[in-house]
Amino acid sequence: MLSPKLTLAVLLLSPGIAFADSQWVLQQSTLSYHVSHPLHQVDGTSRAARGKGTCHGGQCDFLIAVPVKSFDSGDSNRDLHMLQVTRGAQYPLVTVRTHLPESAAGETQIHVDLDVEFAGQTAHYKDVPFQISTQGNDRKLTGTIPTKLNDFRIDPPSLLTMPVKNDIPVKVEMTWHQQ
Amino acid sequence: MKTNAARLISANILFVLSFSMAVLAQGATLSGTVKDAAGTPVPHANVSLKNINTGQTIQSQADEHGAYQFANVAPDDYELTAAAIGFAAKTESISMTAASQTADISFAATAAGPSLSDLGFPTAETKSNPEEQARLDKRTHMLKIHQKMGLITAGPLLATIILGAGAGGHQTSSTTRDVHAALGITTAGLYFTTAYFAIFAPKIPGTETKGPIRVHKALAWIHGTGMILTPILGEMAFAQKSRGERVHGIAQAHGPVAVITGIAYGAALLSVSVKF
Repeated sequence: MLSPKLTLAVLLLSPGIAFADSQWVLQQSTLSYHVSHPLHQVDGTSRAARGKGTCHGGQCDFLIAVPVKSFDSGDSNRDLHMLQVTRGAQYPLVTVRTHLPESAAGETQIHVDLDVEFAGQTAHYKDVPFQISTQGNDRKLTGTIPTKLNDFRIDPPSLLTMPVKNDIPVKVEMTWHQQ
Repeated sequence: MKTNAARLISANILFVLSFSMAVLAQGATLSGTVKDAAGTPVPHANVSLKNINTGQTIQSQADEHGAYQFANVAPDDYELTAAAIGFAAKTESISMTAASQTADISFAATAAGPSLSDLGFPTAETKSNPEEQARLDKRTHMLKIHQKMGLITAGPLLATIILGAGAGGHQTSSTTRDVHAALGITTAGLYFTTAYFAIFAPKIPGTETKGPIRVHKALAWIHGTGMILTPILGEMAFAQKSRGERVHGIAQAHGPVAVITGIAYGAALLSVSVKF
């Protein structure tokens, strides 16, 4: 019969415990794209993103997805135009995949590589900085993804014959909960 | 002399030996390609090389063709690990010698991490809808024409209103009146063509109208009504003037209605052009 201390030591040293699978769930999120036009500065916001992260062996894979339709710029006509130019009915989701070491949860700033799939195209963004703040068991991440329209072969929409800028940075605020 | 020559030769030998040692110490190159299970190169994978004996790790990243390279790798035993988005990390043992080596890494078939089905989106939100995309494309195409024609219409509309100020007075020549009437007819033709492309653009079900477009649409009721009334009243005023009469009765409203129509039209243009 093992003593309680020995049992605890065996459990703590067991590889199965040291590298136990864990999961992260996206609890809250605000994603905002910014569009610049000579006559307008527009922000479209979505709070409909869903995400999950699974960790194994100290490495985590994250997937975040958000419906293109869910972005609201405060003008239904503009949102429908955005949906059209981004081929949002044909490709209804924007997905973001990333791979991180589990230890990143303890950092205050991380640089992540992102694969963003949008409008039927995939673009890779390297070393995107994110700030991390800890709130109990949750981690709040904030950062900006430097997306561009031509990364996804989207023709810049125009208003009064003037096209918008190619840069459409997406500001990200996400709260992840560890399960 | 002999002693000096011997010293010189010894120094040269030492120099050559130390140079060779330095070259050897720089080590070899380890390179390869990161691939998926089907053999397709995986771009931008993170590749690390860990010396098993010293624990020292060096990092690299594959390029867009999946190619990676570590230079100056000393002969020893290593763990070569590749990690990429959507794949489980893959580690292979490798023994480096003084010679350069090639080591390709292939990920397992199944992608690691969560899938879209794990996120629990309703099917309606994830399903591709080419019919709706076609509707959206047609809608945008028609509204672009609406937008351009709307801008073009503003020109003759403004000119008609300006000329109209002098078209109804006692001193007005019939030429001015004729030009005013011709411009009015042109404006009406352009206006109703412009309106056609907005009215018959496909509607997208489930879309709630909000934002400045509501103001734009509300103003259309004013300038739309005005664009029907103005030519009718204008025709009455034109007939009265042609008979040598003063413009009287309901035809007197032609001017004010035209001005209100013009203002509503201008406001409609501004409502979607400038952010208030």
